[in-house]
Amino acid sequence: MTYNLMTCGVGGQGLMLVSNVIGIACAEFGLNIRTAETHGLAQRSGSIYTHIRVGEGVYSPLIPYGEADALLGMEAIETLRYIEFLKPKGVIIMNNYRWQPVQSTDERVKNPENSYLTIDTIVAQLTKVSSNIHIVDASEIATRAGNPLTSNLVLLGALAKTEGFPIKLSQLQEIVPKVVPKKAIDANLKALLMGYET
Amino acid sequence: MLSDVISKDKTQAFLFCNEAIVRGALESDVKVVAFYPGSPVSEILDTFYQISNDFDIKMEIATNEKVALEIVAGASMGGQRSLIAMKSVGLNVASDTFFSLGYTGVNKGCVLVFADDPFCHSSQSEEDGRFFASNSYIPMLEPTDPVEAKRMTKAAFDISEKFQTIVLVRTTTRINHQSTVVPLEPLNRTEFRKASFREFNRKYATVGLKARAFKLKMLERRERIREDFEESEFNTIIEGTANIGVIVSGVSYNYVREVSNKLEINPPILKLGTTYPLPKNLISSFIKDLEGVIVVEELSPYLEIQLKAIAKDSNPNLKVYGKESGHFSEAFEYNIPIVFNVFKEIYKIETPIDYDAIVSRADELKSILPVRIPVFCPGCPHRATFWALQKAVTGKSNQIALINDIGCYSMLLLNSEIYPKLHGDDLMLSMGATLGSGSGISLAANEKVISVIGDSTFFHAGLPGMINICHHNENVIVIVLDNSVTAMTGQQTNPGTGYSPPNNPKNKIQIEDVLKGIGFKNIIINDCFDAKNCIPSFKKALEEPGPTVIISRGPCALWNDRRKRTRGEKIQPFYVDQDVCRKCHTCMKDFYCPAISMDSQEKQYTDENGKLWQGFSSYISPELCDGCGVCSILCPYTNHENRSEKDVIKFHEKQREVRHDL
Repeated sequence: MTYNLMTCGVGGQGLMLVSNVIGIACAEFGLNIRTAETHGLAQRSGSIYTHIRVGEGVYSPLIPYGEADALLGMEAIETLRYIEFLKPKGVIIMNNYRWQPVQSTDERVKNPENSYLTIDTIVAQLTKVSSNIHIVDASEIATRAGNPLTSNLVLLGALAKTEGFPIKLSQLQEIVPKVVPKKAIDANLKALLMGYET
Repeated sequence: MLSDVISKDKTQAFLFCNEAIVRGALESDVKVVAFYPGSPVSEILDTFYQISNDFDIKMEIATNEKVALEIVAGASMGGQRSLIAMKSVGLNVASDTFFSLGYTGVNKGCVLVFADDPFCHSSQSEEDGRFFASNSYIPMLEPTDPVEAKRMTKAAFDISEKFQTIVLVRTTTRINHQSTVVPLEPLNRTEFRKASFREFNRKYATVGLKARAFKLKMLERRERIREDFEESEFNTIIEGTANIGVIVSGVSYNYVREVSNKLEINPPILKLGTTYPLPKNLISSFIKDLEGVIVVEELSPYLEIQLKAIAKDSNPNLKVYGKESGHFSEAFEYNIPIVFNVFKEIYKIETPIDYDAIVSRADELKSILPVRIPVFCPGCPHRATFWALQKAVTGKSNQIALINDIGCYSMLLLNSEIYPKLHGDDLMLSMGATLGSGSGISLAANEKVISVIGDSTFFHAGLPGMINICHHNENVIVIVLDNSVTAMTGQQTNPGTGYSPPNNPKNKIQIEDVLKGIGFKNIIINDCFDAKNCIPSFKKALEEPGPTVIISRGPCALWNDRRKRTRGEKIQPFYVDQDVCRKCHTCMKDFYCPAISMDSQEKQYTDENGKLWQGFSSYISPELCDGCGVCSILCPYTNHENRSEKDVIKFHEKQREVRHDL
């Protein structure tokens, strides 16, 4: 069995932590894993992604189109940008958050009446591939968890509850303290749990 | 994770490929490392930087790849194991010395990791560096994943010592930026002891008759290495039943394995790990009884052409499917769908999987999406510099030529549509090329030339061009964007930073001192965050003939954030007081900070004079704002020198922590 997870967002959102937690958990609990990450140029507020592939028979670091079991988007616009990877009826975990690209702001400065792309429009498009969409207000939950920077763990928690995800919540809870800075452990664990319970 | 790279007790760990390469070098008892950063191998440098204190390793971040290569070659000749990593175009810079090293050889294990960048993720060209190996007679290994990258790094040290030559480990972006579970072996480190160069009694001087002697020895060395490579563990054959086989190397091997499983075909596969010199006998015996072979390799038909030459003797009727047959492209990266479509056709398999249909369906859904191109970070000094430059060239935008260079400021090129006055996409070639090509344009054309160059690029390849500009009194404005670090590749230190790994103070090279030493008369130093006050100096330079150098100084935002975190400081964001915002959008126009967007609700404000302002206010995201305050300088309704309640852009009540993973 292979579990394919596509994660995406905007450079600077802390996406790498998600794949690190999953990867270290896999190493610890005996699962085969391979990931492909974005580094370098694209990180400058650009569109970023990580392919995460868990299970036997995985060679390629890249997920083939239409074969991701889940798509986790830390930002709404970027979630739609990687839709070709999701399998029909696959799980979508999407942060209820838009980070407008400066190109869109430039458009609006020229035509202020034009609106930015809305979450509803994005969801309408996503639904055409899968209606299994979980929209998570990750920043709000993270703030309640004690640190607004833990949105990524909220989303990972929400993902951990969905069908097919290969790592148990308790296993993630064991790994998180090894990956995040000491003083942020409590907030991150709380964010993970609150994400799981949404 | 860093703690796993240096772990003494773990037997396996989830490692990033660049970390796995470092671990391999540590297990090989490497003593000297030198680098100039470049994606996709920067993290090899970064990892060494973080551990160099714990491991008694001599490390230098050199001024450029050529100097770095000379350092590790010299260290090897001096009696220490050494390693260097660079990106594809870095090897172009280092190539002059590199070719000589093929002749002279080295002494202790010396390994050069270089990474090609198919798809130009972060490079100006998509070159195939494998030809460097065949052109220089230097052996080359190519891993398929992080596990093999570590094993090959270790083997490369042994091959290097056995044959007294530098050894290449060639990766591609998709190899370097992969993570997986990697087996760890013991870290048997020995104490660093200086050797005696004289005692080795080896000579490395090459020219004329010495070079001719080296050349003959080098040819003989290649054949001895080839003999070894015939038996190498890195070349593997996977037996199969199909009469069309596959020859593959690098990351494509993974696609071939998975596609074979998906299509339920069973081709014999020869995976090549030693790609220079090629194991000719192994290849001959693999193809001897086959009807055809599919060659799967990204970029140029490097293996394919050599295979055809080998087949001419051992199997002249062999049908070769690859790039020259039109099945695969010489452009960009491969993936499962690309290999799948070719295999499906050649093996004549019916399958319901239609990747092209999935992509065109997705393209339809995504047609509503705005582009998102990498841009200057919130708080980036370059945005402030380019805002001021736009103001200075207003009205004469068609009378300038802007010559770009390699660094974060290259993003001006990618975003030239939102900064049209600057023509940031006019011209950009390679490290330091802004200076020579700017001089050339100034000789040939009427436009006033503005050459931009970063501090690290200035030290890397800028000096010859700068001296040339001064010597010939060229009519060029040079803007040195000095943000104190090599920002684009991850904010590594450079000669202008003032310290170097492992965080030791170093002689800080001041750019203005260098310029004065060269003989420039017109040197202006600007604080780029004081954006409005930078405009006059740009305007003046545009009017004056002859060379002007403007140093536009301000620290890289990401680097500065990290320094803040080290000092226990927080970020002080700004916010737009929407009750008094005049909706003029001056804070956005020509500036375009990712932290500033336009509000979605229309609002009204009547000022003290009874004037009505209606429209959409600006909004500053408190999570994204870095607190540089430049937008508050641009805002006509904010007095940044004497802040008050009347201001539109004010300090946010809450300070924000710096991300720990920044």
